[in-house]
Order: sequence, then C-alpha cells, then structure tokens
Amino acid sequence: MSTVKEKLIENLIEEDKISQRKITIVGTGAVGMACAICILLKDLADELALVDVAVDKLKGETMDLQHGSLFFNTSKITSGKDYSVSANSKLVIVTAGARQQEGESRLALVQRNVNIMKSIIPAIVQHSPDCKMLIVSNPVPLWSGVNVAGVALKTLDPKLGTDADKDQWKNIHKQVVESAYEIIKLKGYTSWAIGLSVTDLVGSVLKNLRRVHPVSTMVKGLYGIKEEIFLSIPCVLGQNGVSDIVKVNLNSDEEALFKKSADTLWNVQKELVF
Amino acid sequence: MSTVKEKLIENLIEEDKISQRKITIVGTGAVGMACAICILLKDLADELALVDVAVDKLKGETMDLQHGSLFFNTSKITSGKDYSVSANSKLVIVTAGARQQEGESRLALVQRNVNIMKSIIPAIVQHSPDCKMLIVSNPVDILTYVVWKLSGLPATRVFGSGCNLDSARFRYLIGEKLGVHPTSCHGWIIGEHGDSSVPLWSGVNVAGVALKTLDPKLGTDADKDQWKNIHKQVVERAYME
Repeated sequence: MSTVKEKLIENLIEEDKISQRKITIVGTGAVGMACAICILLKDLADELALVDVAVDKLKGETMDLQHGSLFFNTSKITSGKDYSVSANSKLVIVTAGARQQEGESRLALVQRNVNIMKSIIPAIVQHSPDCKMLIVSNPVPLWSGVNVAGVALKTLDPKLGTDADKDQWKNIHKQVVESAYEIIKLKGYTSWAIGLSVTDLVGSVLKNLRRVHPVSTMVKGLYGIKEEIFLSIPCVLGQNGVSDIVKVNLNSDEEALFKKSADTLWNVQKELVF
Repeated sequence: MSTVKEKLIENLIEEDKISQRKITIVGTGAVGMACAICILLKDLADELALVDVAVDKLKGETMDLQHGSLFFNTSKITSGKDYSVSANSKLVIVTAGARQQEGESRLALVQRNVNIMKSIIPAIVQHSPDCKMLIVSNPVDILTYVVWKLSGLPATRVFGSGCNLDSARFRYLIGEKLGVHPTSCHGWIIGEHGDSSVPLWSGVNVAGVALKTLDPKLGTDADKDQWKNIHKQVVERAYME
C-alpha cells in the first residue's frame, strides 16, 4: 500500500547526496551558534554539521535551527558527538574550548584548550582530509595603514596612535583590546561580533573571493621571527585557505611590538605538553 | 586646533537624524537577541534599539552587536533602560516576560506577565504612538490581548507571533517527510499557539496537490502513515518554549 509521498511524487533518478559546500562547526556554545546562524542567514553552506560533547545541548540547538528551515536555504543540518558527521567538509570551524574567565588572560586558557584540541583535531582530519580549518580563539595595531578612502590618517596627524596625540586615537586600540573583557563582564561572554567576523571569513573561503583579512597564520621567517608562531597579518583568503600574504612594511616601533607578541607566544608554546 | 576628523572631512549640510525604519526590541534574553541578529543580517532596520531592565546584560549585548557593525548595514544600535530610547519606532517587538516556573500554573504565569506589561506598554506607546507592536512573550495569545488593552492602539496594530512559528515547524516536518524544501510544502496551523493549536489538514499541499485527496485519513488516528505525529511534534516544541 503506497504512502502519501509515493502517491504525490514520482522519483526519476537516485539523488547524489554529496554536499558541495559543507561546513562543520565544532562547539555549540554561544560562539559556535552565533557562527551557525550567521552562516545560515548568509546562504554560505549546503550542509551544516554541528559537533559537541554536550549531547543534549547539541540536540536542542540542532533542532532549534532545523525548525527555522522555512526561513533559510541550507537543507541539511546534522549533528552528532561522533566526528563521522563532519565527513566531507570543505571548512571546519573550531569554537570548542574553555571560556575566558573574568580577568583571565587569553594565554592562560591555552593549556586547558590544548588537551581539548588533542581529542578533536585528529578525528576532523581523518573525516575531511581536504578541509580548511578555521580556529576561533582569543593583538598589534598598524597605525600607518589606517585610512578612509585612501587618505592615510597618519599623514594628517603624525602623532596618531602615540601618547602625544591630543585626539587620543590610541584609545581606540585600547578599547579594542579591552572590549572583549568588558563585554564578558557585562553579559558573561561574547558571541555576536565574533560570529559575524567568522562568517565574513567563511564567505571569503567558500566563495573563493581572495579578499585580504588579518588572520592568524604561520609567520616564521617574517619580521625576524625564527619560531613556528601564528600571528595575524593580512592574508589572501580563498578556496585553498591562506594562499598568499601581503608584505606589510612595519616601522621600527611596529616591528618591535610584533616581535614582542611573537616572543610572548613562544614562551607559552615551548612549555606546552602535546 | 583642528582634529583629524576636521582635517579629513568637510561637512556640507546638517544631518537629518530621523530614522525611517526603526525597530525596538524589548527584552535581551535569548529570544530578543535571536530577533536582533536576524533583523541585522536581513537589513530590515536603519536603527535598532534594545530595552531591558537588566542593565549590564543590556549593555553587554548592545556592545557585542555594535562591534559587529563592519559586517552589516544598520548604523545605529542604541539601548537603554528608559523607553525614550525607543522613540519613533515603526515596530516594537516585545519578548520580555517571566518564564514559566516548575509547577507554576498558566494563570499565575499570565498574571506575572500582565504586571510586567503594565510597566512596559504605556511607555512604548507614549514614545512611538504610531508604531505596530509584535508580541512574542508567552502565553502569546493572552498577552497580545493584554497588550492591546493596555496600549489603546487599534487592534490592527497589535499582533502576536502566534502560530507563525508552529506553521514553520509544521512545514519543516512535512518537508522532511516528503524530501521537499519547506517553502514548497504548504500547511497552516491556526488557533492557540500551544496545546490546542489546529492543523488544517485539508489545506496541506505541494504544488496545489492536497495530500488529503491522496489519503482521506490524513491527520486522523486511522492514518497508517501517522501524519498526525507531525502536529504532535509541533505542539510539544511550543510547550517547551
């Protein structure tokens, strides 16, 4: 006896179910879910897979998104504790990790998160050996390049970004660095801005836009750095990941600050137990 | 001595700062913020105002959205405990309200929410007398009535989100069962948002083909395919909100 579906619809060919633009998000906390909703609303994926160890939360979040399916164009939303659900991803976004506590520096989170990564990364690579990986984690401001429509602000006021600057543009950088801490203090975490930012990067990768973004990449060999450090520099982002980098000229102050970041990070990295 | 801004930019006329598509969201909990991010990503407003009594949460959420401004097109995001921030809204979305406590009767929940609405609605109407109001707080049908009474606005301008979500869930589940996108599956749930909602089985169709003409038992207990389960799932989801 035929079902309503069989009476309604005649199948012509067997469906090729392989997704072309699959994204996996590891971690369904506030950041992971902010990334998820932005990716869905921007039509970036044909399949979205969510992975988390907290199985109830994972199922609840997945169902909540699925129930909104009428309103977006990503037909396949799947989830699971097991990484087999992530197979064949073009891009894997890792948001999993311990949350930054009030007053805790970003670097203090590191060892906690290394152990988490050890349980995650090999499984991801096994199931999607050709994927790009975007790590969302918890910076040196480049004042010489700040411009509006090509007019470099620093040529209008050479004191820009220094303590001698009466306009106190340096405050802007201070605000950027401190802002995450302030939001954590007020609402307990940050989610929307990071979700939007990640989605911006996802767009460049999946659409092969080759836009330039300041993302964290391997900088050994640049600016006198001799160790395998990851720091943000302007990178060309497309379907192959980071295919090119932009060779920015740093003045001596900027280069010193950049190297200082590298040294700070290396001092932590060299102590890490893998 | 001129600032960098004055050296960079020459002003020609004074800016008319009146927004044309302002939306206010009352309540910055999970529902209010979900509304906010979707509205921002869909470019629906030129100004977004958030209101809540929890001032730290309100400020944190507002800053978090503002920091994403590079990625969307709503230049003005404001917030405040005071309803003056909501002035001149075209649409006010009310998500504020008490959550049902374990063991609490529906009536007790409603009375708590009536008191909350009494502190919210008159201020909204005072600052945006021409607005439309969209009520999301539960129990939505009763609270939409309450808000209509408190607002003094014509009934055409006060409406509740009601069964829009139930119908969306219904269409998603029908789509899953048929292997078709929800936008191509038509089905309506009307009535009370919640336990007593009414699925209109006779209207459920794809491409104008009514499923009930294919199987007259559709949606009944006698239906072997158990389509009625779909409506049951929709009701259970609403109950958990």
